[in-house]
Amino acid sequence: MHCHLYIVVVGVLVASVSGTFDNINRDIVNKKIERKLDVSTQLVKANTKITLENSGSGAVRSFLLVLTKEEQDNLAFINAQIGGTNLKLTESKVQEYRDLVFYKVELKDALQPSKTVNVEVEMVFTHLLEPYPAMIQQGEKQLVRYKGNHYVLSPYTTTTQTTTVSLSSPNIETYSRLKPSAHTDTSVTYGPYEGVQGFSVDPMSIHYENNAPFLTVSRLERVVEVSHWGNIAVEETIDVLHTGAKLKGSFSRYDFQREHNSYSSIKSFKTVMPASAKDVYYRDEIGNISTSHMRVLDDAVELDLRPRFPLFGGWKTHYKIGYNVPSYEYLYNAGDEYILKMRILDHVFDDVTVDELLLKIILPEGVRNVVIETPYPVEQLPDSLHFTYLDTVGRPVITVTKKNLVESHIQDFTLHYQFPSVIMLQEPLLVVVAFFILFITVILYVRLDLTLSKDDATEAKMRVSSHCELVHTHHDKRARCYEKLEEELQKLKGSKDVAQSQTSTKKLQNSIRDETQIINDLASKIRLDNSEYADRVLELQKMDKILRECVTQQLVNVEKLVAGKMSKQQYMDTDGPLHKKKEEALEKIKNLLGNI
Amino acid sequence: MGRTQTKSPSTGISSPVGVKSLLVFTVLLLAWMAGFLSRLFAVIRFESIIHEFDPWFNYRATAHMVKNGFYNFLNWFDERAWYPLGRIVGGTVYPGLMLTSGSIHYILNLLNIPVHIRDICVFLAPIFSGLTAIATYFLTKEIWSAGAGLFAACFIAVVPGYISRSVAGSYDNEGIAIFALMFTYFLWVKSVKTGSIFWAAMASLSYFYMVSAWGGYVYIINLIPLHIFALLLMGRFSHRIYTAYTTFYILGLICSMQIPFVGFQPIRTSEHMAAAGVFALLNAVAILKYLQSVMSQAEFRHFFIVAACTAAGVVFLAVVGLTWMGVVAPWSGRFYSLWDTGYAKIHIPIIASVSEHQPTTWFSFFFDLHILVATFPVGLWYCIKNVNDERVFIVLFAVSAVYFAGVMVRLMLTLTPVVCVLGGIAFSQLFEVYLKEEEPSRPNGGDSSDDDDDGEKNSRYDKAGKLRKMKHEQQATNDGLGVIRSMVIVAVLMILMMFSVHCTWVTSNAYSSPSIVLASYSQDGSRQILDDFREAYYWLSQNTADDARVMSWWDYGYQIAGMANRTTLVDNNTWNNSHIALVGKAMSSNETAAYSIMTALDVDYVLVIFGGVIGYSGDDINKFLWMVRIAEGEHPKEIRESDYFTDRGEFRVDSEGSTTLLNCLMYKLSYYRFGELKLDFRTPPGFDRTRNTVIGNKDFKLTYLEEAYTTEHWLVRIYRVKKPDEFNRPRIPVSQRKVKRRNVYLTKKTSKKRRGAIKNRPVVVKGQRPKAKPT
Repeated sequence: MHCHLYIVVVGVLVASVSGTFDNINRDIVNKKIERKLDVSTQLVKANTKITLENSGSGAVRSFLLVLTKEEQDNLAFINAQIGGTNLKLTESKVQEYRDLVFYKVELKDALQPSKTVNVEVEMVFTHLLEPYPAMIQQGEKQLVRYKGNHYVLSPYTTTTQTTTVSLSSPNIETYSRLKPSAHTDTSVTYGPYEGVQGFSVDPMSIHYENNAPFLTVSRLERVVEVSHWGNIAVEETIDVLHTGAKLKGSFSRYDFQREHNSYSSIKSFKTVMPASAKDVYYRDEIGNISTSHMRVLDDAVELDLRPRFPLFGGWKTHYKIGYNVPSYEYLYNAGDEYILKMRILDHVFDDVTVDELLLKIILPEGVRNVVIETPYPVEQLPDSLHFTYLDTVGRPVITVTKKNLVESHIQDFTLHYQFPSVIMLQEPLLVVVAFFILFITVILYVRLDLTLSKDDATEAKMRVSSHCELVHTHHDKRARCYEKLEEELQKLKGSKDVAQSQTSTKKLQNSIRDETQIINDLASKIRLDNSEYADRVLELQKMDKILRECVTQQLVNVEKLVAGKMSKQQYMDTDGPLHKKKEEALEKIKNLLGNI
Repeated sequence: MGRTQTKSPSTGISSPVGVKSLLVFTVLLLAWMAGFLSRLFAVIRFESIIHEFDPWFNYRATAHMVKNGFYNFLNWFDERAWYPLGRIVGGTVYPGLMLTSGSIHYILNLLNIPVHIRDICVFLAPIFSGLTAIATYFLTKEIWSAGAGLFAACFIAVVPGYISRSVAGSYDNEGIAIFALMFTYFLWVKSVKTGSIFWAAMASLSYFYMVSAWGGYVYIINLIPLHIFALLLMGRFSHRIYTAYTTFYILGLICSMQIPFVGFQPIRTSEHMAAAGVFALLNAVAILKYLQSVMSQAEFRHFFIVAACTAAGVVFLAVVGLTWMGVVAPWSGRFYSLWDTGYAKIHIPIIASVSEHQPTTWFSFFFDLHILVATFPVGLWYCIKNVNDERVFIVLFAVSAVYFAGVMVRLMLTLTPVVCVLGGIAFSQLFEVYLKEEEPSRPNGGDSSDDDDDGEKNSRYDKAGKLRKMKHEQQATNDGLGVIRSMVIVAVLMILMMFSVHCTWVTSNAYSSPSIVLASYSQDGSRQILDDFREAYYWLSQNTADDARVMSWWDYGYQIAGMANRTTLVDNNTWNNSHIALVGKAMSSNETAAYSIMTALDVDYVLVIFGGVIGYSGDDINKFLWMVRIAEGEHPKEIRESDYFTDRGEFRVDSEGSTTLLNCLMYKLSYYRFGELKLDFRTPPGFDRTRNTVIGNKDFKLTYLEEAYTTEHWLVRIYRVKKPDEFNRPRIPVSQRKVKRRNVYLTKKTSKKRRGAIKNRPVVVKGQRPKAKPT
């Protein structure tokens, strides 16, 4: 799987190391060449089937493909294969033909003498079709001219060859004729030509109608932001230019709406996104572009993009498209080792040509040892850092760029990196710490007194209120003691164990006395600041005294009852008024507490 | 059991301050959130984008500042506006808005929060509405009570009069200026109450922020002196107001002069002279008070008369003299139009042409303020009844704001806060009366902490009338009017509920429809977006030369500059009337005359707004009379408004319209090829839906311009001005041509019949060069 990625190699100066020249092997003969030229879109797709024969005596390990300089400049993609397996291609030079560009194709198995092999070569050229005339009016059809070679350019002698050119429409203005040639409906056939010498050239020219969209992506910036929290965000910034025949004169909306004859103009195009894409947006600098439709298909999300205005020749537009995909589909890991597999270039529209691609991969913070593998050579730019939410040291950004791409370049890159999973905790901790600091600051600010001058009135008020609070707590303690005393009383009634009860009640009474003493002290302190509140506290104490007396009396009575010193009837008589008195005192205490 | 229950009130009472501040905090937070969220309709329905016309400039300036730094922003000369004059943006803009959002952006970026400056601009006004609510709370608290403050804060958070200028996406000066206004007033009231230099200095700093944010600062610098003046007249001179005003005025004056756009205006224009005069007067009064304490009664009386007469004479002569010498500029036209509502219509049509400068109707008072318009006089009455130093201020604020709001729709904005304050006072007072528990045991009402507050109030406020009235009210309620009380409470709550419903409805329906995106709803409720403005502006930005100059009416200047990034001739900063008049003249002249103006101005494209296809009423034909009027003001010989009317004085575009109108540039650009368009089967071709008529001049060609782009619904039409070599090329007789045709003979055969030639290929005759095809 991995070696497969390296086999397809396209034109970057890999083999152009000066000094190494290849020789043309005179033993090789092209027994048969069938070339299919597809010029029905804005691209020129050449599909050539070559039957090679080794007419010499030694085994042949490689052969050469030739391109002119012009073709080389516009070559976007080249691939050679035998029966489905790709062959290794390297760019090379030949001493005698300095103005031509050669590709050396290495055969997988050496070609034995007098054996033949079928090689299939696929080439895609961009910007090779020239709109002619270069400017047309709104209602006119777009004519383009293709200039090429009647013969397949090859360093070897060809026994027989044919070329079929398929066009987009049957309307042909002119086409060059080299007999035998024929024109049927939407195709022109040249050949068969017999016994063509190596490097034979005979200019071919076809001038025909081609209303296919001539839409070039002049620049595509693709940003992939990986989050280990389960999301990968993709955003593409796209500059689109209509590279067909330029619009001459005025654009009339009336004609555009009425006649539908704007053949070469582009109103909309389709972009295909991954099936799991969600939160799709389509916008530019001045906001959302409201004219788009999304369709979710089984294997893809199809977006019908309509630019703000129809594109005529020479008109351009610029937009952003973005979406999120779940990371489990693209991100694989084993422990701390991660692999990201995503497309270098994704579908923009059919038969796209991308002049320049810039791919940025933003990885999470703390990623180490990043290695990128691509199926075809790309230029890697220096890494940079990206800062976003909760970042401290910045996220590493891997940037690669490549010029002149077509649909065949829609392939996956593989990015290896290490990421210690502990770092995942960094961001939540950061949030926790930030909030902690915030709350601590607020707490400190509220509690600290930052005034320079003393404000006696407020301070006295605060002192009083804090003392009052203490009164409340102590009173609560006291109240609890009373409750316990009450419980003891009930218990005594049941158990009749006077001795034990006396020890515990003593203890409770003592603590009640202590609390009362404390409250008394507090009252005297309060009096220093606010006599009103102190009076209330004293009132409370008075009531408490009554209450205590009642309770003590009750206790004594119960003890008497238990000891048999008092009859039941007597007890009931004395207890009734005591109980009433107690309730009254409680009620008053309640009211008083409310006012302190 | 009974004992444990005592615990819960004890904790509640132990920290009443804490509970109260928590309550205040919660209410203010909720008010902030309600204010913020109710302003998001437009963002939720459409998108996060700057919506209106003016804000596009602010946004563009902010983006420029964020990109190039503050100093470059101050020195920014914008050559893309007012071609060929240009505009010194740094010196002609209130930078507060840009600085505010720029610094928010800066801080967020420091914290690695990558928020786009556009989103900050969009959400700035809603965020500041919350701050306004808090400032209003503090102001009302100072003037009346914390309860009234909470009411006022809640009112201002949702009241439509303020929302109209602060919805998300309306990135305008007013959005932050109302906060600055209320906060300055709060600090001013505070400084008047305390007489402390600290608060006065804070007030002047806040005033500085206001000056940097909005031209409405003039209102502050006139209202505060008016307050002082009124206090002096009422004999309420005190050292507190002396300290407050002198500190505020001097610091405020120095601070305000730091803004480049304001510069020396505070000491050189009549608008600011009242503040200086009051400053002098206050000092004179202070001196007199001092002398009064030194001199005897008779001496003083004599001295007073002499001094007063001389001082008044000197001040008057000085002002007149300075104005006459030109040192102090007289009142500007915009201020005259505040006193004389007919002034603008006669003298400055450009001010009158703006719809928000029209007088306010009763309808819009109710629409913007709802129940508050009825309750705010009640609050005013309370303030007058229990008057003290700071309540004099709010009364003056209310009275002046009501007047200004009546003059101009736009100034409804300054009325709204004071209406909220006074409405809050009215409601708070009402609830205080009707919501109090009947407790005969406690004559003063309320718990102990309230007692303390009341005690403070009594000592602080000049008149203790409130307390007396309270007693009186309580006696009334003691008569067993419980049913009436609850009825009143329920009714008032209902009214408040209706108020909030109304606010939401108005916000949703009237103030949240962006002018840049038009939405139409079909009968099945589905929405159709007409995005023609952005379509056209984006076309301009992508498919015209970077330095192309676009001529349009000034309304669209900021948008073209902001969205299309192209040079404009005139824009919404209408500082040069004659330049606008020139554009107006070009639009109202015939094509030939307009062409000479357009070539003189280097115009490459002309942009017009045309609503005839979709029935959009705010298009250029409907604004056309203003163009004519403004052009006539500067060029009365060439342009006459009467020419554009029919004999019966009607403005119509059908066949009965005046010929001048039917042949002027604006007409032609709007209706070019419209005469052929048949909108539907019921109407004849060329039927204008906006004006409901068939246009008068249908079949015409353009000589000097060509259609460059027209949007989908024809809303925006862009024309390219042809270069002189592209039209009207005169035919030169063959004899006079310098370049002669070599071959005059033309074959009668068509190219197809030519023998042996491939289509369109020249015949190759042996021994001769192929002849060039005659052109």
